[in-house]
Amino acid sequence: MTDKQLSEPTVAIPKPHNAYATSKVNFWEILRIWLLIGVQSFGGGSATMFLIRREHITKRNWLTEDDVNEFWALCQLTPGMSIIALSILIGRKLKGWKGIVAVLTGLLFPSVIITTILAAGFNAVGSLAPAQAMLKGVIPATAGLSLAVALQFAIPLLKKGWNEKVASFSFSLLVIGACATLSGIFKFSASFLLIGSGTLAALIFPRIWWSIQQTQEQSK
Amino acid sequence: MNPLEFFLTFLKASLFSTDGLGNLPSLHQDLLANGIATDTDFSRSVALGQISPGPNGLWALALGYFTYGILGVILAFIAIIIPPFIVLLLATVHRRIEHLTWVKGLMRGVSLAVVGLFIIVIISLVTSVGLEWKTVIVMIGTFGLSFSRRVNILLILGLAALGGYLLY
Repeated sequence: MTDKQLSEPTVAIPKPHNAYATSKVNFWEILRIWLLIGVQSFGGGSATMFLIRREHITKRNWLTEDDVNEFWALCQLTPGMSIIALSILIGRKLKGWKGIVAVLTGLLFPSVIITTILAAGFNAVGSLAPAQAMLKGVIPATAGLSLAVALQFAIPLLKKGWNEKVASFSFSLLVIGACATLSGIFKFSASFLLIGSGTLAALIFPRIWWSIQQTQEQSK
Repeated sequence: MNPLEFFLTFLKASLFSTDGLGNLPSLHQDLLANGIATDTDFSRSVALGQISPGPNGLWALALGYFTYGILGVILAFIAIIIPPFIVLLLATVHRRIEHLTWVKGLMRGVSLAVVGLFIIVIISLVTSVGLEWKTVIVMIGTFGLSFSRRVNILLILGLAALGGYLLY
């Protein structure tokens, strides 16, 4: 043994949470559970979230409530679909890379096939007159639906801003308003506005949060 | 648009956005400008994403199909599945994430921008069918029903389709 090895502690250092794989969990079992989650989760994230909690926390002791909450907080900071990010973290915790494969296959395989078949069906009947008329009703419906989605997305963000400070709330409104105006009227590129807002917010929000912390400490 | 360009358009939209429909404004702008998709394609895709099981974000696959066929589905699928893997990177620096306030600020800013951009997409969707009373009624009705979250989305879209069939 070299000196260096001797000087190192022999006690096993506990690995950071979620870095280990519970290799006892069976690949096919994970796949089976996630296939069921995949076909049953209609209507967005909340149904999927409910099923994930039920299958992993309530029915099996594979995850704790804390695990899921911590994972979810990380997913909020990740670009793209949060539910996929969550599945990736859970899959890794259950069985490393194999777990990720099992979880994503289960969650996505049925829905990808069904979505593609439906799209093909839509295309096949799309030129018929009744389908055209139905579509005329569906288009404004998706506009209304998008409005609901946008509001459900916006309200928690604005609430956070409201609870933080006047500066945070007004900056939030400013970003929304500026992006709408610049995109709608001045035809700015969406990616430019997304990156620009992100950069600006990365500079401004931490300052606001820091000043809130300062005032809280002073008042103590 | 060649397949690589198509893929990169979808990847860019998903990389610089949050959650399932966050990539919509960017795709809407890019694909409409190229004349590859129409407002109708977007409406059909969003509706389909709601009807089919699984995450709503898979609406992008339907858009891929309508604009580029089966190859479009495959390219869109790869493009939307890559960005969430960034979470593994975040998980490794997790112990320091409390100090990474700029990441939190960044994502909050991106989310706020998505809201602003969505307003424009909604206006574009509504005006594409022509702004008349029938359109406005269906839109407000759908908004009310889906915002309350009490009515199943399949039922809402079914009603809208029926409404369309009867009204037009």
